[in-house]
Amino acid sequence: MINYIKSENYRLFRKKGLHITSLICLLLIIFSAATLYYFGQHEPNFPYATSLFFYSNVIGSSILILIIAFLFNLALTGKDMSLIKQSISFGISRNTIFWSKLILTLSYFLVICVVGLLLMIGLGENLFVKEEQSVSNFLIASFNMLPIVLSGFFMIHAMKMMKAGEVYIIIMLLFFFVFSGDLLRLILRPISGLDELYQYAPSTQFNENLMSFMDQSTQFEFRYWITGIVISVICLLIGARKFAKQYID
Amino acid sequence: MNTIIQTYQLTKTFKAEEVIKPLDFSLRKGEICALIGKNGAGKSTFLKMLAGQLMPTSGDIYLFGKSGKEMAQTKKRIGFMIETPAFFPDFTATQNLEYFRIQRGVVEKKRIAEVLQIVGLANQKRKRFKEYSMGMKQRLGIALCLLGNPDCLVLDEPINGLDAEGIMEIRKLLLKLNQEKQITILVSNHILTELQLLAKRFMFIENGVIVDDLSKESLDDKSRKQIQLKVDDPAKTARLLEQTYADIEYKTLPDNIITIQNHIEEGGEINRLLVDNGVLVMEFRIEALNLEEYFLGLVGESEK
Repeated sequence: MINYIKSENYRLFRKKGLHITSLICLLLIIFSAATLYYFGQHEPNFPYATSLFFYSNVIGSSILILIIAFLFNLALTGKDMSLIKQSISFGISRNTIFWSKLILTLSYFLVICVVGLLLMIGLGENLFVKEEQSVSNFLIASFNMLPIVLSGFFMIHAMKMMKAGEVYIIIMLLFFFVFSGDLLRLILRPISGLDELYQYAPSTQFNENLMSFMDQSTQFEFRYWITGIVISVICLLIGARKFAKQYID
Repeated sequence: MNTIIQTYQLTKTFKAEEVIKPLDFSLRKGEICALIGKNGAGKSTFLKMLAGQLMPTSGDIYLFGKSGKEMAQTKKRIGFMIETPAFFPDFTATQNLEYFRIQRGVVEKKRIAEVLQIVGLANQKRKRFKEYSMGMKQRLGIALCLLGNPDCLVLDEPINGLDAEGIMEIRKLLLKLNQEKQITILVSNHILTELQLLAKRFMFIENGVIVDDLSKESLDDKSRKQIQLKVDDPAKTARLLEQTYADIEYKTLPDNIITIQNHIEEGGEINRLLVDNGVLVMEFRIEALNLEEYFLGLVGESEK
């Protein structure tokens, strides 16, 4: 497994698209900060040049973060998948391939997330009007988002390894992470006992997290972790099992 | 360990169609075995099962006597190239091989230069894979197979897309690897004349079944030039031939057919001898089967 991870790492660090995506993400953060700062300086009544609003761009951009996760995942599960047949014929197990690609892309994604967060805090605290506890609330809200974002990452990985099409993956992401709450609320409303299930839907939790952050009432929510863990475990189990039996061409 | 690859009752079914019917196969050390069959006969499916790209529906595969999870280790001793070799298009040959060198745990970095030299790509190592011609891609695929110093090569259509010179070079290379390094080779290809120059054993597969398995000697025997006669009196013909030519080699076949394996150049004299002695010669021809004709004959029989 170590050799496989090393070889994929060799590949990953030579993949220009991945570095360009990372750079664009970080530049977008800087650009949004610069825009808010500019208007804050030049428009007397501009209300959004605050660290709270700046941070809320991340907390409210869950689907954008998942799209970035999708692009990162694609780095090792995209067109290069055709090389898997060679690795398998060398005796590398499908399990090794499945988990190694996940570990590597996830590590890189998390590193960029941490760099992005630090950049946000650095810019937010230096350019904008400081609001009490905005950094700690931002960190708690980000921590609440983490399990659901990771579950999205795992879902993308499992589907890519199962050779699902990219459009299909995007549709699934939209369904689970944008529309699931409203759909569950609508469908399960008449069923007593299940009518509160929508609260565990990822999209509901993303919205709740954003609302509580904007109200400055953010606190650690274990429900988000339950949702994240359940989706992650299901996706990874199905993905690993299906990939183990897949026809590799 | 004399048997490199062995399968027992190996089958593969796609939906309701049994693509490989219970197949017993063994590849012995030092052999160059050609797997011959039409498109869709089951060659690639069989090779993909050996490589692990496809899971067999039933049956067992043994590589160097190991099966199941133990096979992962023994697979390192085999270089597989199944269909078109896949590489990163934006990587150079060296970078592509470096990726696989790390993956396979090959310690010596200089091995990359060695295998590129062997396949004749040493001067093209800085070119990107996407700029390679089909023939160069095939050669890089063989270089990858050789990277781990294998004892055996399993090559599916290795001369696809190569020009005549490239085909000859690959043939020479494979023969050299077999003779000098005792590398066992299992190869499939649709250019049968090329296989005839390379292989020592020929295995014919049709509809997922091995319909014939011949050594080179047997094939040469079957494909040797011979005179075929159809006469009214085979016994008299045989007597005349034996009296005239002491060393004559002939076979009497059904339907009054006699085949003569030597004295081919004296066909005219043989014909006159028979006619002068009152034997009615209804058919006289000199024939030789090549691998292609032999294969077509087999396929024809199997289809009947």
